[in-house]
Amino acid sequence: MKRRQGWLFLIIFLLTLSIYLLINYPLQLGLDLQGGSQLTLQIIKEEGKVTRDELEAVNSVIDKRVNNLGVSESNLQTLGGDQLILELPGEQNPLVASRVLGKTALLEFRTQKEGTSTDLKTLQLKRLSIKELIEQYSLAEKSQNDNNLKVIQDDLKDIEQELNYSSTRNDLYGKLIEIKKYVDKEITNLFIKTDLSGKDLINAGRRQEQTNSNWEVLLTFSNSGGEKFAEITKSIAGTNQLLAIILDGESISEASVGNQFTSTGITGGSATISGNFSAENARELEVQLKGGSLPLPIEIVETNTIGALLGSKNILKSLYAAISGLIFVGIFMIFNYRILGFVSVLSLVLYGFFNLALYSLIPVTLTLPGISGLILSIGMAVDANILIFERIREELNDGNTLTRSIDSGFQRAISSIVDGHITTLLSCFVLFLLGTNFVKGFAATLGIGVLISLFTSLNCSKTILRFFTTYQSLRQKNLYLPRNNFSN
Amino acid sequence: MKYNLELIKNKSRIIGFSTVLILLSLLGILYSTFNTSYKKPINLGMDFVGGNELRIERICKEECSNFSPDLVLENLRENSKNKNLLNNIKLQSQNNNKLISIRTPYLSIEESNNLISNLGNIIGPLNYESKDSRLIGPKLGKRLLTNCVTSLLVSLFAISLYITIRFDKKYALFALLALFHDLLIVFGIFSWLGIILSVEVNSLFAVSLLTIAGYSVNDTVVIFDRIRENLKSNKEGYNETIQLSVNESFRRTTFTSITTLIPLLSIILFGSYSLFWFSLALSLGIIVGSYSSILLAPSLLLKD
Repeated sequence: MKRRQGWLFLIIFLLTLSIYLLINYPLQLGLDLQGGSQLTLQIIKEEGKVTRDELEAVNSVIDKRVNNLGVSESNLQTLGGDQLILELPGEQNPLVASRVLGKTALLEFRTQKEGTSTDLKTLQLKRLSIKELIEQYSLAEKSQNDNNLKVIQDDLKDIEQELNYSSTRNDLYGKLIEIKKYVDKEITNLFIKTDLSGKDLINAGRRQEQTNSNWEVLLTFSNSGGEKFAEITKSIAGTNQLLAIILDGESISEASVGNQFTSTGITGGSATISGNFSAENARELEVQLKGGSLPLPIEIVETNTIGALLGSKNILKSLYAAISGLIFVGIFMIFNYRILGFVSVLSLVLYGFFNLALYSLIPVTLTLPGISGLILSIGMAVDANILIFERIREELNDGNTLTRSIDSGFQRAISSIVDGHITTLLSCFVLFLLGTNFVKGFAATLGIGVLISLFTSLNCSKTILRFFTTYQSLRQKNLYLPRNNFSN
Repeated sequence: MKYNLELIKNKSRIIGFSTVLILLSLLGILYSTFNTSYKKPINLGMDFVGGNELRIERICKEECSNFSPDLVLENLRENSKNKNLLNNIKLQSQNNNKLISIRTPYLSIEESNNLISNLGNIIGPLNYESKDSRLIGPKLGKRLLTNCVTSLLVSLFAISLYITIRFDKKYALFALLALFHDLLIVFGIFSWLGIILSVEVNSLFAVSLLTIAGYSVNDTVVIFDRIRENLKSNKEGYNETIQLSVNESFRRTTFTSITTLIPLLSIILFGSYSLFWFSLALSLGIIVGSYSSILLAPSLLLKD
């Protein structure tokens, strides 16, 4: 008896602790319940697996970019070895984030090959006309002007002929983009790589140009970067070779270095890129350069935006459904098992508190699949109680005393309960290891629930029942067996 | 109140009934693979094939006016750059024309935002705070599918290993057979739902199959536990003992199924729409699972 009383105090202590935890550490709600956006980024590697180092490198670059963007309360985590999940809670537009994060932002400085001036000039002209065609295309598209579209198509054909390259895409817009990429590549090919790159930057900034409303991006080199930059500019100063600044394979600026730099090159450790940036473009480039380039390209493979309104509707609806379902389960149990049913209701209430307290302690972020895992684990907990009560009922029917029936009822149900719980735990474990984020939420709540159910059904139910049976008035057999069960 | 299920007499009927259910499921799966537009054993939803799903509420003064989805689509097409993508677009209105949902193949975030603002021009004003959108790239979808299949197989393997250790090979084999029976029938029902009502399965369906697996094994194990216990005391013959054990656990199995079904039914009836098919799959799985653990698995254990 003393031991049981000890358990009773432990249960009361745990209950108080759970309530304390729940008040002080509120539950974390997933994006599907509170609203927000979630981006899944996939690291792309042509050959072999993404290594741990590469994953961490990508993670840190993305993290820097997200911070520089000034997104509040964002959460970045890695998933499955080659994916990252970025969560942006609340009303934040995922568009800007996706544009900034998706780019590799590989910055290179290249010098022009000798004797390619004419080639470069032709290509630069082509690039200009393609850009114009793309602009005309969006205008023509908006005004539904089929004639203009026809003209653009013909112009494009001329360019393709002059370039001696034909595009593979079928739609006009795709063709324009493809040709533009081709021209960019040809231009880049006219330049030779130097050992100066985005790695040599220590900072980036932006400012509005004085003469017009365009923006320019400022680069600040590290000491060694500044020396490299001076050397490179010195080598081409006064010649007709140009210096190209190349971002992700596309040359964003080609500039000559004046005669006055032939002796020392451009010193001071900084440079500006002025390539007709809008305020927004300049800011995005700044953020990308500050964060450094990604060691491997990434692709945004999933975007999930849930309006805060729908989120709160979801939680309320499912919460009501769950609570009303549980009340019915309670009525069913009390109807069938009388006092035993009442005991199981009490131990289920404990079960609920322990579960929620663990969610806030670990912490488990509650999502819709998580809630369904919780509801299902409640089913398992009830099942354990039913297994025990059925055994107690059998013992009572065999004419055993109440105390004896309760004892052997628990004893004999243990093996089934443990078997059932372990099989469920096994699948939870596998799901948690292999599953995607979504499945993990389900496996976590179900697994925690099953573990707690072992404790509450085997221990709490027994303790409460023992406590009840210390009162003489609660020891009548017919309070445990509905009358019709006597006569079989 | 004792139960008296005549398991021994009805063995062939039980096995026959299950065979019919399995054949019907296989028929659905075959029909779905060869005779539908999607050519898959089951109508895979956006989670597995990639795509874009948008839901947004309209702001209306009192009641939202009627509109014709076809006309709206026509307008959308005229305002859009990408003609090809919009060929496969589906638009529906729910909640008395208040909620609009759109399904398209995979779009970039930019394209998807354009789509919404175009939609706003056509049947606005829209409540942008209520926007709910999911974009899944085709690569991710494929990955999710293989991920779900491997998780299922690995957890089945783990479960059968556990039963082999706790009981023996014969029990493990029949528990697994009963389990495959349950999974196949639920899968088959959803194949048919896909064919008839074009119901799509998403990643929650995979979760439900995994849960059914755990649940069904749990149910069967409890009955096997009872059989093993009764065989030890060995008062009657082998077949009679099995029948007795099933009848002794009958109340427990039905009660457990009922108490698990109650919260699921309340989610089906009152819960959010996103959990409707999930709860339905689970409920079906629990019903089929109870049947197979009470009747099918013990019948397989019976000796001729």
